[in-house]
Amino acid sequence: MTNHPETHPQLAHLSNQYARDLAQVAPSPDLDARVADLVATHRPVAAAAPARRSRRLGLYAAAAGIAVVAIGVGILIGMQMEHARKIAARNAASERDAVWPPADLTMWPTDSVSFKVPAEYSAQGTLVAVDPDSKNTSARYWIDVVVANDGTFRIERIVPADPAQKKGGHDGVAPQVQ
Amino acid sequence: MNNVCDDSECMTRLAAGDATALRDLYQRHGRALLRFSSAMCRSRQAAEDMVHDTFVALLHEPVSFDAARGSVFGYLCGVLRHRVSRHFRQQRRWVALDTENDASPAHLGDAASPADEIARSEITVAFRRAMLELPLPHREVIALCDLEELPYTTVAGILDCPVGTVRSRLHRARALLTIRLASLELIDLQTEPPMAHRGLT
Repeated sequence: MTNHPETHPQLAHLSNQYARDLAQVAPSPDLDARVADLVATHRPVAAAAPARRSRRLGLYAAAAGIAVVAIGVGILIGMQMEHARKIAARNAASERDAVWPPADLTMWPTDSVSFKVPAEYSAQGTLVAVDPDSKNTSARYWIDVVVANDGTFRIERIVPADPAQKKGGHDGVAPQVQ
Repeated sequence: MNNVCDDSECMTRLAAGDATALRDLYQRHGRALLRFSSAMCRSRQAAEDMVHDTFVALLHEPVSFDAARGSVFGYLCGVLRHRVSRHFRQQRRWVALDTENDASPAHLGDAASPADEIARSEITVAFRRAMLELPLPHREVIALCDLEELPYTTVAGILDCPVGTVRSRLHRARALLTIRLASLELIDLQTEPPMAHRGLT
């Protein structure tokens, strides 16, 4: 032990004494034999190690390849499921649209045309098409018909063809179309 | 210097798969490693097991040695130190039934028969017990610096710490050892006040 100025001299003395005793320590024959056995039974693993390492690398590569394939298959299955789900959703929407009217349906169609149809009372009291040979013009009416582009039509109003007849009160007659 | 060259040559041979190089390294450094191990471990058997494990590790991983980082002996001391640390971590899980023979002088060499040798060995046993009661970092720095008398730079390489840390740790270890030996009445603090334990409470 080096004599450090801050070291207690008795500590230095004891340390030197212990170091001298420790210097007498020698490996036992058992330890010598174990090391000799270690040297004798050692097989060079330098050649085997790369093979084992390459085999392990091969296993890692195979595992990585399988993992990539599994992920790819999973992605494909997911894409197909998503595609099928979209198709099913679209079909369901079209079926629903066929059953139920669209939400933005209005009462009146946006595209329609209105025209007047001449009519007159028949002997049975119903409105019929005007006979061109008939001389009676007092009981003739104009029927305003609105035909829409969705195939529907409606009678909007019935007015007398003769303005003087309007005063007679025929405007309130319920039309009966034949 | 010749040793360094021989050590390098042995390491090269060992890395090439020549196991006989291990025998040369053991013959060259085995005794010093066993001294260090004996200073660190409680029993002779454990100390020899640590040395054996160190050479087993060297045989299996000779390429771990880097000549740029230090000598072969420093590398072996580092491996041994890690083995000892692991040994003591595992030892904490167990409770020894009898530790009377752990620090006996028998494992330090031939038991002395004359009376003065007996007295001397008693002091040695007491010193060894005080040393084994030190924390592991302090024990190893005492073993390497004071018992093996290795340079601070070498010890710093073995412990993988700066030289300043080695100095401060050694200072602290000496102070702790002085106090412990004083409690065993091997050192008289009254007659010659030590400077080493200044600042210790």
